Amino acid sequence: MIVISEEFATGQRQRTAEPLIEFKGVSKNYANGTHALDDVNIRINKGEFVFVVGPSGAGKSTFMKLIMKEEKPNTGEITVNGFKLNKMKRSQVPYFRRTMGIVFQDFRLIPNMNVFENVAFAMHVVGASRQEIRKNVSRALNLVGLAEKARCKPSELSGGEQQRVGLARALINRPNLIIADEPTGNVDPNMSYEIVELLTEINRRGTTILMVTHEHQLVRDFGQRVVMIENGRIVADNANGGLL
Amino acid sequence: MKLTSVKYLVSNGFKNIWLNKLMSIASIGVLVACMSVIGLAVALSINVDHALSQLEKENVVMVFFDDRNSALYAESNLNSETGTYNEITEKDYTVHNFEEAIKLCAEIEKLDNIATVEYFTGEDSLNDQMATMGDQAKFFESFLFSDDYGNPMPSGARVSFVNLEKFDQTLDNLEAMKGVDSTSSTRDLAEKITLIKHAISIVGFWIVAILLLISLMIVSNTIRVTMYSRKLEISIMKAVGATDSFVRLPFMIEGVTIGLLSAVITVVILYFVYKAVAGTILNVMTIATLIPFGDFFWIIFGIFAGIGVFAGLFSSAFMINKYLRKEGSEFRAL
Repeated sequence: MIVISEEFATGQRQRTAEPLIEFKGVSKNYANGTHALDDVNIRINKGEFVFVVGPSGAGKSTFMKLIMKEEKPNTGEITVNGFKLNKMKRSQVPYFRRTMGIVFQDFRLIPNMNVFENVAFAMHVVGASRQEIRKNVSRALNLVGLAEKARCKPSELSGGEQQRVGLARALINRPNLIIADEPTGNVDPNMSYEIVELLTEINRRGTTILMVTHEHQLVRDFGQRVVMIENGRIVADNANGGLL
Repeated sequence: MKLTSVKYLVSNGFKNIWLNKLMSIASIGVLVACMSVIGLAVALSINVDHALSQLEKENVVMVFFDDRNSALYAESNLNSETGTYNEITEKDYTVHNFEEAIKLCAEIEKLDNIATVEYFTGEDSLNDQMATMGDQAKFFESFLFSDDYGNPMPSGARVSFVNLEKFDQTLDNLEAMKGVDSTSSTRDLAEKITLIKHAISIVGFWIVAILLLISLMIVSNTIRVTMYSRKLEISIMKAVGATDSFVRLPFMIEGVTIGLLSAVITVVILYFVYKAVAGTILNVMTIATLIPFGDFFWIIFGIFAGIGVFAGLFSSAFMINKYLRKEGSEFRAL
């Protein structure tokens, strides 16, 4: 059983009607003619855990990129964490990004940094002091069960352990929203469950989770809200993994 | 940006140089080579300029005064029928005595572009002339000091100019002065000196400009390679909310450090090369005098440090901006 310490909770579990992510009539076409998203309307409330599923090329990545403000929509309005992304200036993007944590499929750990440094890296970016970094990184590593491997290099860890380091890094600045892009894609099935359990526990403490995955069994087992994207459209949006 | 971030980024910048040490060494090596050529060009230019300045000072214009000797022995005063010079009165010439000659010298000194004015008497002038004639002088001696002919040489002044580029204008001003009969100058030499100085400054400018461009390209390339080798780090930085300046600073520090290190190494190398070259030249050519390295150390170091800092700052800022705007992806597969 994974226990999340209070320090990393953004608040008590809440599934209020207050929206954290809102897409209104969003479409995105790329210069090469690809229609990635077509008139997407969705609302994800604070405290929700949402799986995003769909075949390759369905538009999941574009959906995530739009949330991160890495891409701009051609039409429609996007609001995330209270930021209206359509009107956001480039200089504001870093401050917006600090309100979210990102977990990558390929872990994205810096090979020449050890586990502690990899997690601390995200705190350096926001200008945290040494004391804060020491305290919070140790807690985050305890949380993901890697306190004893703080001095190890990523190459000395298994895929599951590396992903837990990535999760600790995403959590370290206490974001309201965690975006996980196929976080179980490069780990074995048992570890996949552990990672999603960890995310679920983080979610219970109030952090909204948005997770892209191809593992339907995992989605069914955890019974959370599922959004299915196909051909750039949301074709299904069900609670409790029901559509799979 | 917070002080803790700045400290972290500065140490990161230095760490990067060490982590990419092969690339850093290669960049420093090529930069040192470029700067050495620039340094040698500057040292050569400074020395040639110095030598030409010496020549400029030695390029003296002889100004002959309109005194009794010049009026009496003027070609226009020669009686072609008798073959003798006509008698003259005081009204026929302007400079009558030593006081008037000195006054004229003072007026010459006030003209624009005049460096030095050295008065000489007709007798000095004659002695100089006799000295240059060597053995032949004896033949003229009895002739010149006979009852019929006195000293034909007028008094005047040796005048040197500040800037040979204004040679013609200054000479015209001198010749237009009341009391000046004629001038004798080495206009050709002045023209050649001016030409050489121009050529050296143009060649020097292009050498510095081309090598500066090469230096910029070298540092840019190092930064570019470092950036691509660290694209994972940059993508994570951007994903967790790093500002552009946070991403940029370590690269700028890296660029400036490489530039400054190259400047210091080049100055040290140049010092020993210059010392060796100066020693050889002085042994071979006893007349040549080279300016001591210490006299232009700060100029050279200033140029190198300037090139280093400029190349480092400009190339890193340019490259990282380009990368951040076009290629810096956070979510896309690396």
